[in-house]
Amino acid sequence: MNAMRDLESRFDRAAGALLGALKAGEELSLEFAGESSLFMRFNQARVRQIGAVEDAMVDFKFCRDGRTSRRILTLTGEAGRDAELAARALEAARAEAALLPVDPYQVLPAAGGSSSETFPGKLPDPDAAPKEVLGPAAGMDFVGIHAQGAVARGAANSKGARHWFAAENFSTDWSAWLPSGKAVKSCYAGREWDSGEHARRLQAARPLLEGVAKPDKVLEPGSYRAYVSPGALEELMVFFSWRGLSEREFREGESSFMALREGRKSLSPKFALTQDFTLGVEPRFNELGEVAPERLVLIDGGRLASSLVSARTALQYGVASNAAPEHEGLRSPAVAPGGLAEADALKALGTGLYVSNFHYANWSDFENARVTGMTRFACFWVEGGKIVSPIKDMRFDESLYDLFGANLEDLTRERSLIPAVGSYGMRDIGGMLLPGLLVNGLRFTL
Amino acid sequence: MTKDLARLLEAALPTGAEWASLRRVRSVERSYSARDGKFDAALVFEDEGYMIEVLSGGQFGYAAAASADPAALKRAAERALALAEAASPLALARFSPAVRPAWKHRWETPRAKAGLLGADLLAGAAVAMSAAMRLDPRIIQTTAAVETRDIEVEIVSTSGAALEQVLHLVSTGKNAVAREGNVVQNRSGHGPRGEFRQAGSEFLDLPALEEAARKTAREALELLGAEDCPSMTGDLVLAPDQMMLQIHESVGHPCELDRILGDERNYAGSTFVKLEDIGTLRYGSELMNVTFDPSLAGEAASYGFDDTGAEAKKEFIVEKGVLVRALGGLESQARSGKPGVADQRAEGWRRPPVDRMANLNLEPGASSFAEIVASVERGVYMEANRSWSIDDFRNKFQFGCEYGRLIEDGKLGRVVRNPNYRGISSSFWRNLRMVGDRSTFEAYGTPNCGKAEPNQVQFVGHASPTCAFRGVEIFGGEA
Repeated sequence: MNAMRDLESRFDRAAGALLGALKAGEELSLEFAGESSLFMRFNQARVRQIGAVEDAMVDFKFCRDGRTSRRILTLTGEAGRDAELAARALEAARAEAALLPVDPYQVLPAAGGSSSETFPGKLPDPDAAPKEVLGPAAGMDFVGIHAQGAVARGAANSKGARHWFAAENFSTDWSAWLPSGKAVKSCYAGREWDSGEHARRLQAARPLLEGVAKPDKVLEPGSYRAYVSPGALEELMVFFSWRGLSEREFREGESSFMALREGRKSLSPKFALTQDFTLGVEPRFNELGEVAPERLVLIDGGRLASSLVSARTALQYGVASNAAPEHEGLRSPAVAPGGLAEADALKALGTGLYVSNFHYANWSDFENARVTGMTRFACFWVEGGKIVSPIKDMRFDESLYDLFGANLEDLTRERSLIPAVGSYGMRDIGGMLLPGLLVNGLRFTL
Repeated sequence: MTKDLARLLEAALPTGAEWASLRRVRSVERSYSARDGKFDAALVFEDEGYMIEVLSGGQFGYAAAASADPAALKRAAERALALAEAASPLALARFSPAVRPAWKHRWETPRAKAGLLGADLLAGAAVAMSAAMRLDPRIIQTTAAVETRDIEVEIVSTSGAALEQVLHLVSTGKNAVAREGNVVQNRSGHGPRGEFRQAGSEFLDLPALEEAARKTAREALELLGAEDCPSMTGDLVLAPDQMMLQIHESVGHPCELDRILGDERNYAGSTFVKLEDIGTLRYGSELMNVTFDPSLAGEAASYGFDDTGAEAKKEFIVEKGVLVRALGGLESQARSGKPGVADQRAEGWRRPPVDRMANLNLEPGASSFAEIVASVERGVYMEANRSWSIDDFRNKFQFGCEYGRLIEDGKLGRVVRNPNYRGISSSFWRNLRMVGDRSTFEAYGTPNCGKAEPNQVQFVGHASPTCAFRGVEIFGGEA
């Protein structure tokens, strides 16, 4: 709790210093991100690197005379020093704004309101983390990262909005390897660490490792039936955010779903995608202090129902905002379930591939929404509904109009909550709720 | 300045530490962008913080915080020591202070003009570039950005290191989106973030930037009328702005020692290269000479020392096609017993240093561009990366480019859109059959290479001549 309180104090002090020093005719919106984290990187079930990071940043937009200047500053945690840094940053923003051209689509803060969500956790003592995390993995080639601690996000503006979200949580993102280079992947994440659950997950990996120890089946390029697990689907969800469902990208020709938008193509009637904050893993507020609807249906029955619209895009194009952040990326996505019981997935697959993970996917053809990527970790060849052997990794290259469209046979009834465990700059928050997909053709090329 | 830092370290030093260091990083990033000929955004990011590293029982522990308050640094040092002590019984490797060299040095990006450019000039340049691309109603969007970043790093240690480094990074970016009917094409010039390098304020040559922007827009329009790249197995000629990506993904990452040692397997991936391959592996044809070169003036990742303080020197990684050295810093060299380079780098003050590429270049050969084209019976010339994907052992890749031209009977022919190719790293480089001379040699870079757990973004530079490869699987958008 102390770390979360400390981060909230930093947020309030910075917000107070910035908002309290505004002059007549000036407006400001700010967002805050902070963490107090332990990171332990491991390889061969031994510690490669271990350390602690205390970090807090304020990112603000200053508006005056039709001009907008944005600044990010790092907070030290010392009250006097941070007030001084904030005052200096505000003065610099004021001076710079005077030099800038007019912002043609300036969005002034409008949203008021407040919210506060705090989720205390139960985490291992940081000094005990090496034994706690690595002890049960003795004898395994256990590789990955354990991160734990407090993470926080906040937003405030000169119209009185004040929003706060903080959680204490952990993630142990790992894989277990055989000398042959085959591996199984897992992730244990949550707010309450349970050493028994961690040990059980490790234990469950051992028979899977035996499965991937069998000789690989080498597939020829071609189209195969496939079951795409929720973990593999996660790798593809980025394509709804990157050249995806942003209203600005649609307007400016940068979405790869232009044909979906213009009704020239559709996805399967079985495919539905919602931005769903009821998952409770991510706050609804954005950098302007606006609060997004609890649920926003984006794709319904295979057709585009809504795009992600920020206030800036709304102003420029005269459309309604749905409180998307300015980058118009997808938050808390949930893909609707289907009718296939997960337990029956292999039987329904019959003969084909079980894909546990994809890797390094990228657009390969924007106009046709085609994506290429690799299979990774424990992917198997299945015959007659039974796993036969692991496969040698294959490259796929497939249009999402086919994968989520004509080729989509069904989705599983059960869905998995996949936590966000990235840590570029700072630990991510969020996650996605995903089913598995049964597809009657996935094109492999190499 | 390092004297102040040394005093802070001395005051913070906890009892029981075998060795400690303090690294201060200050970064000021300025970014100005325009869209459709109008101002879009201005951002200044000022960031400063400290990482203290403590060695105990052969294990490093680190603590990072933004505060320079002596009491806060002392708490950080105690935290780092406690973590090192807790992890030491389970350490993967035992290190000594030898992996943190103790020497004194100062390095700074050479600049022709050292003055700071005003926000009005930088924002104005972005607006002008964006406006210059609005040549035709079929151009439906233009964006441009001008960015500068100044990074100061200081390192002191209890063994006597006193290091200072100042890097001045600049980049210009642009993109034109053209549409006719249902065909939408984009052209950025040299890839989305390719124009990234070290320089002073001399980089802002507005007439040249505007002319490059107009060329970019003309080529986006040209792509609208182009046919899709045909499928073939033929010769592939890559411009330096695509060679950048080819080197990065299929030479740089596979040759990183930490990947070879298994550290990266859970995230960015492993490699097909094995420790025993160093010194023996036939990586490419005799024409392939790849160097780690932190000394190339103006290239994005030139520097005097890495974030462990190791002195940066030019070294061959692949010489006449044979892998002679891997990309690994002092820790990986100590663990593996293999030679490496000074490339253990950290993203700012928040992250510990890990093996990264810096400047990784393909050395020029002997062929002119005209000779390369003349040697091709049937193939495709490609410029500017737009798609990149490779497997976690860095073998099976598929890359796409913005702009292609057919080559038939030794002549550059019509423009093709959506050019892509795929291959396998270990065989692709063995089919390198011509390497361009110095007249074709150009340097590009990227600010956003991702790797490591916790995740880190790092900037890298890649310089290369134009190159030709034989027998490559080439295809277009509909294939």
